[in-house]
Amino acid sequence: MTATAAENPLLEGLNVRPRPEPCTLVIFGASGDLTQRKLMPALYALAVRHLLPERFAIVGAARSDMSDEDFRERMKEAVQEFARDDFRQDVWDTLAEGMRYTTLVGSENQDEDSLGRLLDEVDRERATEGNHVYYFAVPPAAIAALVREVAARKSEKGWTRLIIEKPFGHDLDSARALNALLRERFDESEVFRIDHYLGKETVQNMLALRFANGIFEPIWNRQFIDHVQITVAESIGIEGRAAFYEHAGALRDVFQNHLLQLVALTAMEPPIDFTSESVRNEKVKVLRSLHTPGPKSVVRGQYGRGFVDGEEVPGYREEEGVSRDTGTETFVAAKLYVDNWRWADTPFYVRTGKRLARRETTIAIQFKRAPHPPFEEVAAEALRPNVLLIHVQPNEGMSLAIGAKAPGLGLSIRTVHMDFLYGSAFREGLPEAYERLILDAMLGDATLFTRADEIEEQWALVDAIAAPWQRDRPAFPNYAAGTWGPPSADDLVHRDGRSWRRH
Amino acid sequence: MAQALIDDWNGEDTSIAEIERELGKLRDSSLLPGASNMRTSVMTHCAWVPRRWLDAAEQTLAGLADRHPSRTVILIPAPEEPDGLDAQLAVRCYPAGDRHVCGEVLELTLRGNRVEAPASIVLPLLISDLPVFCRFRGEPPFGEAPWEQLVDIADRVIVDSGEWDELRYDELRASFDTAAISDIAWARLEPWRVLLAGRWPEIAEQEIRIAGPPADAALLRGWLASRLRRTIRPVAAADELTVKLGGETVAPPRGEVRSPSDLLSAELDHFARDRVYEEAVAAA
Repeated sequence: MTATAAENPLLEGLNVRPRPEPCTLVIFGASGDLTQRKLMPALYALAVRHLLPERFAIVGAARSDMSDEDFRERMKEAVQEFARDDFRQDVWDTLAEGMRYTTLVGSENQDEDSLGRLLDEVDRERATEGNHVYYFAVPPAAIAALVREVAARKSEKGWTRLIIEKPFGHDLDSARALNALLRERFDESEVFRIDHYLGKETVQNMLALRFANGIFEPIWNRQFIDHVQITVAESIGIEGRAAFYEHAGALRDVFQNHLLQLVALTAMEPPIDFTSESVRNEKVKVLRSLHTPGPKSVVRGQYGRGFVDGEEVPGYREEEGVSRDTGTETFVAAKLYVDNWRWADTPFYVRTGKRLARRETTIAIQFKRAPHPPFEEVAAEALRPNVLLIHVQPNEGMSLAIGAKAPGLGLSIRTVHMDFLYGSAFREGLPEAYERLILDAMLGDATLFTRADEIEEQWALVDAIAAPWQRDRPAFPNYAAGTWGPPSADDLVHRDGRSWRRH
Repeated sequence: MAQALIDDWNGEDTSIAEIERELGKLRDSSLLPGASNMRTSVMTHCAWVPRRWLDAAEQTLAGLADRHPSRTVILIPAPEEPDGLDAQLAVRCYPAGDRHVCGEVLELTLRGNRVEAPASIVLPLLISDLPVFCRFRGEPPFGEAPWEQLVDIADRVIVDSGEWDELRYDELRASFDTAAISDIAWARLEPWRVLLAGRWPEIAEQEIRIAGPPADAALLRGWLASRLRRTIRPVAAADELTVKLGGETVAPPRGEVRSPSDLLSAELDHFARDRVYEEAVAAA
């Protein structure tokens, strides 16, 4: 149904979710972990909710040798294990009917032939009209060659869209080169650089919180906010991804993308509307104005042996596939400034790391203290500044710390929390980020994807942070697994008379 | 979702003051040590439920409560009984992550003359600053005090014209300017509306014949007539809704049939007036 309510009077008042046009989704890296844990369960969830196109096909492509039947069986197991919905045979049968697989082996020409032929066949069988979405769930090194292949195969009949997983490049130069390659063959509107954090409901709720509530935006600035703390903490280690992580580290794995996107959403100006260009224009302005005052405002760390959830875990250098004297950082903390009228001199303390005390992604907005509390010092000693805490994961929601009188005859002020838990007010299950993002890409809506200039601004900052790291060799490990990072991360905040929020 | 009844209280010949007091105690008792229970409300949900609809209403509400944490006030009119007010209060909690979310259910029997003043009973029990949804089970008492008073205090009134003995749409229309009105019969038609919208533009010129249960058929006819701005033949009575376009029977919409709880739940997500429904009712 493509007519609008203005053209079709019967559509007026109907809440018909737009359904993507017929298309084939090609997954490069179809035998990988991401496909099984995230992509296939997301596609199944969309199928359960009738959100996939009426005429739809999935083509898996990977180096592993598999038949169509093997592929379907493997994907079925993935859905049964990881999907958020109960398994329904009828939904699965409909989805599996359009699933095919091709092995990417030998030279690229052969790949193109086998995949190209298969796509023609699928287009005919499933009437998908030559519309192709390519999902690049492959290591960064494999992306450029596949982009060239896809460009050579670009359908003249239908449209082509590319969803590219992070990391997009490994520094500014490589990101620019990849962007240049994409620009040569594709329009920016055809490229969807995915950062799955942007698909999370709570991240999008940041926009609702700021721009749908009249009470927050007037105080969302340097006049009222003392500082901002953003934490993206993981309690897990590298989970067998040594080959990738040794090159990336925490700076490129999380800081460059998830963390900087959270900074951008927290600090951005109100967009004039919620179209992809307006939102991304505002985010890129923030990224362009970010700076860190100098090398002393960045702390890196690497975990040693320690305890997580009561169990002893190895240090990073003891993980399989990791060099025994590696200098790769598993923790980064930084003080950032946003150089604009709204945020001048307001520090954004950010940190991310692996094997920290617990899994938690939060944005804490700490407001300035009341200018003159008219209470005796002892009455207000347990009073802390107001903090608006946004829980991105887990326990999605937010809380506001306020001072309240403790019951009793005296006047003693205590800090209490007003909590909003997503799961308590809205009892529908939150969709997984990948569901939203895959659907948006099929619909051609790039609002929640990262634009070329955003990526380049992110890498420019990361390169500036990493440059001094080439010159010195840190004394790693410098924090025990299961703690909140190295002591120098505390010093970074203490030097300014502040502290990381208590967990 | 499994629910736990934390505590309840029954009172005969009670008063609003006593109800409020006991409700406070129930709320305190729901804060069990270590249980991390939370009281969350997104609305006050009141329901006018004549006794013959009570079982159906309780079933619908049981399937609904965990989706819309609220204070639910069920008003059971008993005009034939001696004057007075009886109450059954309960706090029910539902798992939400590592906590429980608790809501309150107040089942109030309005005996004798209390039936004439339901607003004075509901008003003190509304949760401040949250929307009020009022569901009338069965045929609403149009023109009578309970209807007039509850429509006045509700932000949204929900009826199901499929439950009516007579299609009293003219009387319903009189309240369109007072409160936003939802009709479960209209909600049930949504899959049909989506299906028929897909027949645009051919449907604009085709002969349309509709048969079905009175409310469903009348509303569908009214909708098509008002949207397409043309006359549609009167409907025929039948157990199942059927539509013929240009002499050809349209295959009914596919998909799961939504339960009464699902339908009511969806209506509780809407706040604004539904102009398309209002025009369909006018043309029904």
